[in-house]
Amino acid sequence: MLKCTFCGRRAAYHRRYAGVLLCDRCLIKSVAKRFRRAIAEHQMISPRGRVALAVSGGKDSIALMHLLAEYCKQKNCELVAITIDEGIKGYRNRSVPMARENAESLGVEYVVVSFKLAFGATLDQMVKLAKLKKTGLNPCTYCGVMRRSLLNQAARELEADKLATAHNLDDEVQAIMLNYVRADLSRLHRLGPTYPPQKGFVPRIKPLREVLEKEVALYALLSGLKVHLGVCPYASGIHTEIRDFLNELETNHPNSKFMILRMFERLKPHIARVTPKFEMRRCELCGEQTSADICKSCELLKGLGLKRLQKTLISPKCS
Amino acid sequence: MTHIKVTVKQVGKKHQREIRLDPHTTIADLLRKLGSSRETVVVRRNEKIVAEEERLSDGDLIEILTIVTGG
Repeated sequence: MLKCTFCGRRAAYHRRYAGVLLCDRCLIKSVAKRFRRAIAEHQMISPRGRVALAVSGGKDSIALMHLLAEYCKQKNCELVAITIDEGIKGYRNRSVPMARENAESLGVEYVVVSFKLAFGATLDQMVKLAKLKKTGLNPCTYCGVMRRSLLNQAARELEADKLATAHNLDDEVQAIMLNYVRADLSRLHRLGPTYPPQKGFVPRIKPLREVLEKEVALYALLSGLKVHLGVCPYASGIHTEIRDFLNELETNHPNSKFMILRMFERLKPHIARVTPKFEMRRCELCGEQTSADICKSCELLKGLGLKRLQKTLISPKCS
Repeated sequence: MTHIKVTVKQVGKKHQREIRLDPHTTIADLLRKLGSSRETVVVRRNEKIVAEEERLSDGDLIEILTIVTGG
């Protein structure tokens, strides 16, 4: 039996990048400590603020909901959880009840916003339309762009001053690598623990950005949280290849993910200097902020012969 | 003992199988043999989540839970 480096109980995890073994209690304590440190270091949450949390029902967002609920209780902040139901049969319909159940057990205000009501089609239907119309775009493009847009609008309508997402270290490093591979300077320089305030956008925060995906999963499982562990049926392509490459690198060379993040942070001020700045304006179709005449969501919807149906997302019926 | 036998189950799948291994095999060795990345799974040994450097024993039940679910 392997013992915890700190308390001598049976180890549940070998944190190889730090050369320590952790038992269930010490792992839970350590993840909670990193979460609080990230909030304090980057002044993510203002006293008596109102935080919206994007929650899918998966391990990361459920773990963050529990951590934030406790934090907000102590700091007198308000927390509201938002689930975007993209309409992925066999996947999202299983995770939404999990998100709702956790929110109810914590007494957290909970809202669901659906693609179907907002755009008149589920993601499953959009994927079929995209094939018919031969747009050449993959499901993650539609899902990512439209989910972010709805999250921002919902958080704004709910009068949140911050929008928390459960991006972990793996997500962040994958995004860094993806933007390198695509040579996308403008997206690369926007990555960070917080996003600077911009008109029309609720500033986003990522309190789990310095916690490995595996450690977030262990936090959720060892805490006995009810989470959905289904696999998105659309997960494929370059995102998956980058994820697998980074995991192999981490297995063979522990600490690689942290090192990629640290290097990016050192480069970031220089990247900002050479990144073109865009002037933001209102989308001609939906009125959301965009750097072009119409926003990316409306552009994608237009390509599918769809449009935004709901001007306002949050009504008493939604919650 | 020249070999040990462990039962391996992928959580969420019905099938489980018995695998013969060398006596000094660790969970990390087993994951390598199965082609599973240790970064993407959590392993329960006889119903307890344990570090992957633990050595396996004859008769162990190993449950592998995939934790990476997104794109």
